[in-house]
Amino acid sequence: MTQRCTVVLSRGQTVHPDRQELEQQLALHLAGDPRCEVLVVPHLYDLNAHGPSLTALREIPGDLVVLAWLYPRATRWILDRQGIRGQVGRTGIDDEDLPAEPARPSGAANDTPADSGASSRRIYCLDLRRDQTPEPYVDTIRQILADAGPAASAEAASTGEARTLDESVKRRWYPVIDYSRCTNCLECIDFCLFGVYGVDEADKVLVELPDHCRKGCPACSRVCPEHAIVFPQHKSPAIAGGMLEPGDLKLDLSNLFGAADDLLGAHDVAARERDEHLLIAGQRPAGPVVPPPPPPPARPADKKDELDDLIDQLEAMDL
Amino acid sequence: MSLVLTFRMGQFEAEFPTDRCYARNHMWAQRRGDVVRFGFTAYAVRLLQDVYFLDWTVEPPVELQPRQEIGSIESKKAESALFAPLGGVLTAFNEQLLDDPSAINLDQYGAGWLFEIRGSDDSLLTPQQYLEHLANVWPVAQKTIKGQLNEP
Repeated sequence: MTQRCTVVLSRGQTVHPDRQELEQQLALHLAGDPRCEVLVVPHLYDLNAHGPSLTALREIPGDLVVLAWLYPRATRWILDRQGIRGQVGRTGIDDEDLPAEPARPSGAANDTPADSGASSRRIYCLDLRRDQTPEPYVDTIRQILADAGPAASAEAASTGEARTLDESVKRRWYPVIDYSRCTNCLECIDFCLFGVYGVDEADKVLVELPDHCRKGCPACSRVCPEHAIVFPQHKSPAIAGGMLEPGDLKLDLSNLFGAADDLLGAHDVAARERDEHLLIAGQRPAGPVVPPPPPPPARPADKKDELDDLIDQLEAMDL
Repeated sequence: MSLVLTFRMGQFEAEFPTDRCYARNHMWAQRRGDVVRFGFTAYAVRLLQDVYFLDWTVEPPVELQPRQEIGSIESKKAESALFAPLGGVLTAFNEQLLDDPSAINLDQYGAGWLFEIRGSDDSLLTPQQYLEHLANVWPVAQKTIKGQLNEP
């Protein structure tokens, strides 16, 4: 017997009629399934840390299936940031974007000190931009429910209706750290001049002041050597937590509408973006960034020094 | 709108009123007192089609460099970053569009205006110059679109 699974439907930010239709269809299809509860919340990224939606999400002990207009990697680390953690649930879709091993707990909780996720429960993240009809999602979720085994009978009574949590949210913009990639090199703290990043008691980097982030600025993500910084709302999939090539989802007309034809490297673009946002904030531009030197090559494992030789000899000695 | 010039995009005939100027990034510009009001041209709207989401990343009043990135747009067919058509002080956005951007499609030369900038409009094009600009960029646009759609 397992705890019942909760399907979380994170609504889109836009008035896109096709998207709203898909959300409604999904809620309708899934709410009738007695094996799961359906919870509808505003857009996951915009939720208030101590609002009703995140509070409700933190209280859910069982498996989660999260449907959002986000790349699965972005969804996972937005939840992690809010102390909502679990094993990576594999769906066979977009799995290549997720960490190979169960996510390393980030340790440093950001918006919340509570860590409700040191459990064996699973979190499955599905990207609603992948299919335009509800059926593929419903099939995937039914498979997840079937694999999870029978739910505890005491909890199995379904109301047949989705639970909708409303809270007023405004569009936010802040980085989300993928701790399965972050090596704590602190490049981001050095680079960001708006004070977004900080460290916890264990000197582990965290997004300390998310609302100090400059809307639209993804520059720190470009300087991160591990590509561990996700801006879920950025138009470039590589920055938004996806692995898809630009254009896989929609046409990008930026070049037609006036983007500079830059063939610049990531650090040049990052410096230009940072300067633009410094100017907007009324500060002096900081100028170019010197890329960090490549990490020193690891010492070859087979290279022995005198001490190694001595140890080898010790073993060979009959003491 | 008295006189209009037209430009053919495939079967579609895009119209450009001659009572205003144009920017190379496919925005029209109309002087209103000390500010210049901008909006998408019929060419831009045809490429975008139904606009679903408009987002600005700067807050007026703000000093803009020419071609500075100022926001993004998402439509049925496309998404794009948006750029300042000229340098100057951005004084206002059309707030009506943030909740419901449909005026961009319904009335792009009127209620669908985007923003106003206080600055020199010397760099803007006349309607005739804009049409010449379109004749140059339309083949490139078609290639870009086909390339992204993986069509031969």
